[in-house]
Amino acid sequence: MSVRPEDLTAKQYDAGFVTDIEQETLPPGLNEDVIRHISAKKNEPAWLLEWRLEAFRHWQGMQEPHWAHVQYEPIDYQSISYYAAPKSRADAPKSLDEVDPKLLETYEKLGIPLREQEMLAGVAVDAVFDSVSVATTFKERLAEAGVIFCPISEAVQKHPDLVREYLGSVVPQSDNFFAALNSAVFTDGSFVYVPKGVRCPMELSTYFRINASNTGQFERTLIIADEGSYVSYLEGCTAPMRDENQLHAAVVELIALDDAQIKYSTVQNWYPGDENGVGGIYNFVTKRGECRGARSKISWTQVETGSAITWKYPSCILRGDDSVGEFYSVALTKMHQQADTGTKMIHLGRRTKSTIVSKGISAGHGQQSYRGLVRIGRQAEGARNHTQCDSLLIGDQCGAHTFPYVEVKNASATMEHEATTSKISEEQLFYCRARGVSEEDAVNMIVNGFCKDVFNELPMEFAVEANRLMEVSLEGAVG
Amino acid sequence: MSALIREMRQRGEQLFARHGVPHPRLEHWKYTDIRRAIEPWLADESPETGKPAPLPEDAAFPDIDGLDAYRIRVLDDHVIEMPQELPEGVSVVSLARLLADEDVRAARLLNADEQESLFNGLVALNAARARDGVVVALADGIELERPILIQHVGTARASHLCHGLELGVNARATVIEQYATPDQVEGFTNVVSRAWLGAGARLVHVRLQQESMARMHIGRLDVCQHRDSELSSHAIALGGRISRLDLVVNLNESGASCELNGLYLTAGRQHADQHTVIEHRVPHCRSREEYRGILDGRSRAVFNGRVVVHEGAVGTDSEQRNANLLLSDRAEIDTKPELEIYHDDVRCAHGATVGQLDEAQLFYMRARGLSDAQARELLTFAFADEVLARLDVPAVRGLIERLAFAKLPYAGGELDAMLSGLEAFA
Repeated sequence: MSVRPEDLTAKQYDAGFVTDIEQETLPPGLNEDVIRHISAKKNEPAWLLEWRLEAFRHWQGMQEPHWAHVQYEPIDYQSISYYAAPKSRADAPKSLDEVDPKLLETYEKLGIPLREQEMLAGVAVDAVFDSVSVATTFKERLAEAGVIFCPISEAVQKHPDLVREYLGSVVPQSDNFFAALNSAVFTDGSFVYVPKGVRCPMELSTYFRINASNTGQFERTLIIADEGSYVSYLEGCTAPMRDENQLHAAVVELIALDDAQIKYSTVQNWYPGDENGVGGIYNFVTKRGECRGARSKISWTQVETGSAITWKYPSCILRGDDSVGEFYSVALTKMHQQADTGTKMIHLGRRTKSTIVSKGISAGHGQQSYRGLVRIGRQAEGARNHTQCDSLLIGDQCGAHTFPYVEVKNASATMEHEATTSKISEEQLFYCRARGVSEEDAVNMIVNGFCKDVFNELPMEFAVEANRLMEVSLEGAVG
Repeated sequence: MSALIREMRQRGEQLFARHGVPHPRLEHWKYTDIRRAIEPWLADESPETGKPAPLPEDAAFPDIDGLDAYRIRVLDDHVIEMPQELPEGVSVVSLARLLADEDVRAARLLNADEQESLFNGLVALNAARARDGVVVALADGIELERPILIQHVGTARASHLCHGLELGVNARATVIEQYATPDQVEGFTNVVSRAWLGAGARLVHVRLQQESMARMHIGRLDVCQHRDSELSSHAIALGGRISRLDLVVNLNESGASCELNGLYLTAGRQHADQHTVIEHRVPHCRSREEYRGILDGRSRAVFNGRVVVHEGAVGTDSEQRNANLLLSDRAEIDTKPELEIYHDDVRCAHGATVGQLDEAQLFYMRARGLSDAQARELLTFAFADEVLARLDVPAVRGLIERLAFAKLPYAGGELDAMLSGLEAFA
């Protein structure tokens, strides 16, 4: 077959550049003083500082986990700087016009100009540049509907009761090593609250960028959908080309109360390292949603093409009766990328349902694992799960692995797990070639067909972007 | 004891000292905790100094109706009966004799390595303590028509046994390992069986574990397959308070194929754990696996099927299925079908299901006049029988069917009665 892995590995990273903005950065290292400093910088209330310190003390007693099917050099947590803010923070921009033009340029290079975004079909953007949110748009329209959408640091000031009630209620501080680290040092992220019965008038989106060299980014996102509400949240990210590994340990918490729905979509295209596996982002993320109320629904959709190492399991705790959890994922590993990703569906309530569709594409020296857990509790009468995870292998150096855990404790539950692994078949390619389709287009077509079930779940803006991303990522796959 | 054997024993002890009794913090023992149950049976008892078990006069070895086999009987860890006449080219000796006469062959069986011990420290314990076992060897080209039946019955103590099966080029054999310690008898069975299949050899291996519900059973079957050899394995787990089988198949040369069939039926407070590993090390091998489980009472079963396709294993063809039926709300199944693939030119699929009887099938039968209980009984049995149908030794299949049926929680418990009851509808 003429798809040569070496061509794939040679694919350059399009979004690699560095924006030169003065940064106020803490010296590397982590101790209680650093946490106090971060907390003081953000003018946080005492309970939050206490909460951070508690997390930090937990973290000190924890071991970095090594069960994932990935390999990397040990991370020196003391060589990371835990705080970086653009200088212009002091006189925070009131509108887009006040935003540093270089910053805006950065987004334009990424193809997400804020100005255009503003005019585009109702997408509000809370752009995170390193650790501090600098521009938030469409606030007013959201405010009209009663939706709160703001940086979490602002929410701490303006809506402390909400934050205090829900922060850490899905992912506790001591949940895991990286979540504990995040709880101790998170600098910013998004906060969303959709009040009772409100259908959020637009899709909310955040673009993350890691920019300052040697700075880990610790995002904290908290989304609360009150009874009968609906919200769709989009998250996308690219990062500049760097040689040093950058750690990204985010925590995302979703809470859906009775009859509420949350749809969370991600397109992740961080710097994957060069063709020799040097550099790239370490993406160790804890994402978890809880369907707390009856008939609530949480849906995760992700397209993961970037990062040197991805370690991420967006999960649903289906606590409310008749609640629904969904997970749709496309992950691409090429060059020396490694991904260990999947989901957890914890069925606790009666008649809870979950669907898992995971599509993995592995090329070059990429190593990819699906790791999932479906647990059906004793009380989860009539629970239902369907899992499908397929892998597509391109090249004889790559790997695709599946580790599904299934634990069923209720006799009326039904669960199915299916997985297949194959390569792009010569027959399919030949068929396309015989009809005059170029080999590259044929591969794209086959890959897009393979991913269709997941792309269909993405909001329209993202579906287009995801399709393009796959094509760009697989460019040069044909020699 | 020869120096070589002493070395093997010592290594076993060392590895066991290092890895110890497996515990749930080990990934492969996540769902199975044997620490407390094994404690009474761990008392140090080196194989050379341990006293032979007293042989009770009424040691009941079961008979398998209609099976004409070369029969070997093992009581605790002593081979007490050997077949009288064997065809030319077939040798059956006890491990005890090999230990005395042919230490090189014995050492091969007691050769626990680091990897195995990491997976299950009791393999190392077995290497250190196995006193006896059955070693079957078939010369090249020998096709054994009658099966070899190895029956084991234990008393309330620990039996460490080690069996060897060596099949020469193009040899063929059927080997049945039956563990039939009668009910109520406590104790601990720790068996390691190692099989080598020469080029073109074919082995049908049946492992029928119907031990006492008070006993702990830990087993390992390790198979190395050479070019174009075929393995057909049937692992049946019915008994044991806690049971565990690690089945490891190494497809070491091209063209080798294996078919693993498994059935586990649990009830009461039983805990049954089946781990299988299929290593596709070379191009063009084929593996098929189907395990089914029926769980009742407060029992718990574990299935972990791992298929590894190594780099360069072009043209691997692998399929794995695990299906489970939960009959009780207090039962628990933990299943994990794993795939690890390091090559692109492969065709691998796996699947796992947990569910109930099909309502449409039940309705079909009810509509034809069967009672609800009859319909359920029949469908549950059919669910299990789908795996047994691939066993081509009618006498053994019949026995397993009767045993399995008797274990299902329906009235009667007699397969023949159920079948004759159905004749009215034929």
